[in-house]
Amino acid sequence: MDQAPTTLDPVQGSNIYANFVIVNAYDTLYSYQYLARPYLLKPNLAVDFPVVSPDGLTYTIRLKKGVRFVDDPCFADGRGREVVADDFIYSLKRQFDPENQPQGAWLWQGRIAGLDEWKAAGSDYAQPVTGLRAIDDHTLEIRLTRPYPQLTATLAQGYSALVPREAVEKYGKGLGVRPVGSGPFRLVSYDTARVVMERNPNYRQEPVDLAAEGYNPATQRFSGVEALQGRSPPFVDRLEFNFINESSASWSSFTKGDEVQLTVLPIEQIDRVLASKRPVTLRPEYAARYHVYGGLEAGFVFTAFNMDYPDFGYNPDPERERRNKTLRCAMIKGYDWEARNDSWYFGLGEYFPGIIVPASPEFDPSLSRASVTRDVAGARKLLQDNGWTAENLPTVVYGTTAGTTERLFFEQFRAWLRDIGFPREKVVQKTYANFGDISRAWKKSQLPLVAKGWGLDYPDAENTLQLFYGPNASPGSNDANWKNPEYDRLYEESSVMQPSPERTALYHRMNQIVLDDCVAITGISRTRIYLWHKNVIAVPDREILGGFWLKYVDLLPEPAVSPTLAKGG
Amino acid sequence: MNAVTLALPAETRARGESLWRKAARKFGRDRLGMLALGVVLAYFIVALGAWLGWWAGGWADLSGTKWEPVSSTHWFGTNIIGQDIFDRAVFSTATAFEVGLSVALAATLIGAVLGAFAGFFVGSWIDEFLLWCMGVLDAIPFYLFVAAVAYALTDNPWAMQVAMIATFWVGTGRLIRGEVIKLRGMEYVEAAHSIGVSEPAIIFRHILPNTGHILLVQASITFVSAIKAEVILSFLGLGIKDGMSWGLMIDESTKEVLAGFYNNFLAASVLMFGLVMAFNAVADALQDALDPRKVG
Repeated sequence: MDQAPTTLDPVQGSNIYANFVIVNAYDTLYSYQYLARPYLLKPNLAVDFPVVSPDGLTYTIRLKKGVRFVDDPCFADGRGREVVADDFIYSLKRQFDPENQPQGAWLWQGRIAGLDEWKAAGSDYAQPVTGLRAIDDHTLEIRLTRPYPQLTATLAQGYSALVPREAVEKYGKGLGVRPVGSGPFRLVSYDTARVVMERNPNYRQEPVDLAAEGYNPATQRFSGVEALQGRSPPFVDRLEFNFINESSASWSSFTKGDEVQLTVLPIEQIDRVLASKRPVTLRPEYAARYHVYGGLEAGFVFTAFNMDYPDFGYNPDPERERRNKTLRCAMIKGYDWEARNDSWYFGLGEYFPGIIVPASPEFDPSLSRASVTRDVAGARKLLQDNGWTAENLPTVVYGTTAGTTERLFFEQFRAWLRDIGFPREKVVQKTYANFGDISRAWKKSQLPLVAKGWGLDYPDAENTLQLFYGPNASPGSNDANWKNPEYDRLYEESSVMQPSPERTALYHRMNQIVLDDCVAITGISRTRIYLWHKNVIAVPDREILGGFWLKYVDLLPEPAVSPTLAKGG
Repeated sequence: MNAVTLALPAETRARGESLWRKAARKFGRDRLGMLALGVVLAYFIVALGAWLGWWAGGWADLSGTKWEPVSSTHWFGTNIIGQDIFDRAVFSTATAFEVGLSVALAATLIGAVLGAFAGFFVGSWIDEFLLWCMGVLDAIPFYLFVAAVAYALTDNPWAMQVAMIATFWVGTGRLIRGEVIKLRGMEYVEAAHSIGVSEPAIIFRHILPNTGHILLVQASITFVSAIKAEVILSFLGLGIKDGMSWGLMIDESTKEVLAGFYNNFLAASVLMFGLVMAFNAVADALQDALDPRKVG
């Protein structure tokens, strides 16, 4: 991996690096099917999916029996005790205890009955939370203040991992470097250079059922995962994560042969290593030694128009507002997704219309691609027909963080706008020292264009649709400050619905409204290319699945080495 | 008019040839210096053409596809987004001259004036204060100072130049101060004093003109330093904001070189190397030609 986690305590495990380790040391109630794409939830520590009351407010979840924490001196006799429903309640309360500087509370804030009140009353663990109840040791009841169909997905995030109270009481902040969980691996050592884990000998026996993991023989047979059928993970005795910031260093370690066995292909090596990009195949000298897999990111990159700006968005003059829409539509037509993909993602990204990303289960591949197909003549005509000239076109301020790539993004964008009639001096760059600064500018609605990326928190298009929900306007996540009554109504209607074809239909209607209103130039999902040695059986991922797949990694008998991860990018 | 007559050292006039004329003659005999001057002039013409829009106007256009090799349409190939590297390199020559000239002129001017004041009033509070300023500016690491100025002047396209001028004048200032301390004791200055010429007039009309040879050499050295600093600062993201420069091109090339594409890197490095070398040679030749101990 390219960066080291700063803590392994689930209460603060906010980034992918920490999560990779956390979900292997701890258990979550739910996780994701190893091989299914788009991603699909599956029970992990829970026996089954929750039983949801008809009003959608009460979730009853049964936990597996006989699951034990790893042996640790924090337990009475040094032997890990059984995991019970109270451990979940305790762990979730920790997210609402300011003492822990929790990072994951936003997932449940205002959603679980009594939890916010419990925090307001001083986070006293002896006090119960009305919405969190252990019916018995293996049955949990969660009561919500309003329907929250994404709740189950939040229970697959590292934030909700089950932590034993004994460990928190014994180690305090030390828990951040000494995880005590019930996951497939236990920690051996952790520093800024590497994390070493070994197999948890107490891990429950659960034979792999490839069909239930979403196995697709057509695309995944090459990985050798069929050998896992019927066997219980974890398969390797020892797991090593190396944190290597410099992609060239991790690449040389990988190609050396006996060190790193799994890596993300550095972007600058793509032309040297790949024989073809669609499908992703290796040149013969690499194909002889490595497996390759191109995985689409669960997220996208897009540029939203800030509708607060009267030059592009809402305007007191209805006629100008109408013309503004034609301007936005023309800019969308002028955008060259193919060139962007080719320049920056080596042609490996997938650009698509709208804001429902390909990794969402609700993605609609049949949607018209007109909004992502460049049409310079159409854009010029649209501008001309609506009275736009080089003189009266507004100045476009393109905000970026300072950096070479960002500057070239800008230069490319400026050249595309020049093609549709913008004078060069009317497209200007505004740079910010770092991501924090530009984020603040977005939140304060200080930029007319918001060019950003978004990674899914869970595989549900709701997570990207909320980016354009009116009440989420700045400082919320709706940086476009777009308010469309019809869209907002559909969002509210769908937000309390369980996944269903009806809900998907509502999502598709919302997506179409975004396209029709020309609110954003969108979007592209990037591809990560994973390479691993041929003796490793794996289908790697660092998106929604995160670290969950590591327990399924196995090695072919020769040569016997432990798998080591060094993922860049 | 009296004062002007006094300003010219009598012995020089007596021999019928000024220091400048002698220096020009000596410079003319310096073959390397003349060659270097020719190279600098060639660069200047290239820059002038870019300013006047005769060429390199397409530096921002996407005239090709990603990483095209050298061809008759793209003499140095194209960059990652399909811009013509030759056009960008040529346009960067104009940027280099803009930065070099503006910084060299301003820094030399400030250094000359402040150095002359410090030297003329040596030992007074003016001198103390100016020396303190120079000491402070010298003590701040250059790149940290530029970063601070760039941050303070966010969005100001002149932030980099301001930072360079604010530090580069110090060297000139110290030299001029030393020279003025020497000159202020000379007879013609004393004479000016005695006939009641005001102090500013003595400084500006009688003393400073006699430091011209130092200023010329200092200006050429500052010019080269500014170009080099611009490349480094642009590479670090502290330099040119809107435009193109060799530093930005080298910055662009950092990822490309790993992918085996060297055009941006070579184009910018070779052009910068040529100009810096040539200008250094010119500065050396000027120094030789204008050194009073050697002229004669």
